[in-house]
Amino acid sequence: MRWLIFSLRNAIRNKRRSLTALAITAVGTTAVLIGGGFALFTYQSLREISARDTGHVVLGAREFFGGDEDLPMQNGLAGSPELAKRLQGLPGVRAVLPRIQFSGLISNGDKSAVFIGAGVLPEADFRVRGPQMRFTDGEPFGAGATAPEIVIGQDLAQLMKAKVGSGLTLLATTTEGNLNAVDVTVRGIVTVGVPDIDKRLVMTDVAAVQRLLLTDKVSTLSVYLKETGATDDTAARVHAALPQLAVRTWLDLAVFYQAVRDLYNRIFGVLGAIMVVIVLFALSNTMAMAVAERTREIGTLRAIGTHPREIVRNFVLEGVAIGAGGAAAGMLVAAAATVLLTFAGIQMPPPPGRSTGYPLLVNFSAALYAATGAAVIAIAALASWFASAKAARKPITEALSHV
Amino acid sequence: MSSLSLKDIRKSYALGGNAVQALKDVDLEVRPGEMVALTGPSGSGKSTLLNVCGLVDTPDSGRREIAGQSVDGLSAAELTELRRRHIGFVFQSFNLVPVMTAYENVEYPLLLLGKKTTERKKLVWETLDRVGLAEFGHRLPDALSGGQRQRVAIARALVKSPALVIADEPTGNLDSATASQVIELLGELTRERGAAAVVATHDERMTHSCDRAIRLVDGELQ
Repeated sequence: MRWLIFSLRNAIRNKRRSLTALAITAVGTTAVLIGGGFALFTYQSLREISARDTGHVVLGAREFFGGDEDLPMQNGLAGSPELAKRLQGLPGVRAVLPRIQFSGLISNGDKSAVFIGAGVLPEADFRVRGPQMRFTDGEPFGAGATAPEIVIGQDLAQLMKAKVGSGLTLLATTTEGNLNAVDVTVRGIVTVGVPDIDKRLVMTDVAAVQRLLLTDKVSTLSVYLKETGATDDTAARVHAALPQLAVRTWLDLAVFYQAVRDLYNRIFGVLGAIMVVIVLFALSNTMAMAVAERTREIGTLRAIGTHPREIVRNFVLEGVAIGAGGAAAGMLVAAAATVLLTFAGIQMPPPPGRSTGYPLLVNFSAALYAATGAAVIAIAALASWFASAKAARKPITEALSHV
Repeated sequence: MSSLSLKDIRKSYALGGNAVQALKDVDLEVRPGEMVALTGPSGSGKSTLLNVCGLVDTPDSGRREIAGQSVDGLSAAELTELRRRHIGFVFQSFNLVPVMTAYENVEYPLLLLGKKTTERKKLVWETLDRVGLAEFGHRLPDALSGGQRQRVAIARALVKSPALVIADEPTGNLDSATASQVIELLGELTRERGAAAVVATHDERMTHSCDRAIRLVDGELQ
């Protein structure tokens, strides 16, 4: 404790220099925490979007994932109601939803356009998707409608000049290779924030799609869990229970999430490395100047029986005190910024390929704060050690005659 | 047993490509409680001899003993331990640690020795009282006069009751009246504590207050 007190007094011996080093360390810490917190927020949001879109665990026929189909539903999953019942009984499962992926032409009588469709369970599927799918008009279709109803992407609706209540026709190739058509009514118009999807998206009842394609199969079964963290365990359990099927997790299917995560890890990794170098230089410089100024004092302390390692320890304590002060200040600023951004409602512009922005939010992560603090302290210790190790071993006579 | 014993000490430096013989076959014995004045002109090798006596410099050849213990062949860490236990230093420019109070400066050698808090307190206050600075214990060196600082330095050197005190021009930065007080104090304290002292000085009064004076000229004792 005494040594720490002496080190603190030494740290404030040259207030301006120590404060400058402390401020640089604080800025570096703040930058890492805010950048890292933003990356964590982005990962969390994308994880949520991906998991809500595909389901936490997705089951399909072995050939479904990655295999090409000559005819629709060639690699489909048979007996989905029984499978869904079995899966629903697994612990932690919130919902099991059958889905059919299909495509074809949509027509309003005057013109046609290609659509990419999803056959989904009425009501339940819209409940699990959450806020990423926003209704600009109308509402989700329900069960028990007399005629097939659809929810349509807003750009496709515009192209088809369709409004809620408009009648349209879906044309698709059946499982036998023939063309089939069904008249549908628009029940809702949605956006998912991605123009390429909004101008192709059609969602309708899975039973209506089965009638259109002349099949009783589905493409996949999406298992939604109560906790995303239970994904791997559940996937393993499903795989063990149904080894004849292919099992994928949301992460396997979240190509965009993984690409963004890789990109952000690199960007913020480089940012972190730059901050490490800046803090290292700032603290090294401060400690090197302190050591140079106190060379004679080092000689005196060595003469009266202080070991070089004890001299170095004192300088390391001093550097760590400055580093810890800077880290603490940086953490406070970052925490304040995190709270401020939560209430500020600042919107980021839409990223490439999307039509809607997203809120600028920064996640608070105790682990990130602890790791950053520990890293700053380690850097400070390293910088102080580098700066003082040589001086502490200088011949005492030389140190004592230092001017 | 001598507090300090030097036999055939030789030390040379390389200066501008030439070897300069700083000490030539120096023999010196200093008994406990004895204060020896080391005089001589500038460049005669006084500082080199003090450094060799204080184990902060190593001779080229010769034998050294501190408190009856041979120091020849000891590692740097072992020499540090010996200085920590047996040698006190008084410098011309006081060399107090500016962030430590007078009390803490005097306490520092005891901290290094790992003495317990109560023992440290007792020894430090006793020594500060002995040098007449008990009421200045909580002041930083900057708030003390030159004479007071040198008295703190003397207290720091003697608080651990060392076998040997090395003093390099202890009155060099003091006015005449203060120098007299410091000379008297250093003599009294070293004798009281049974420490041997080697004092490099140009001050005649210092020389006269020592038990004996030795003169070094061109690295040789005369």
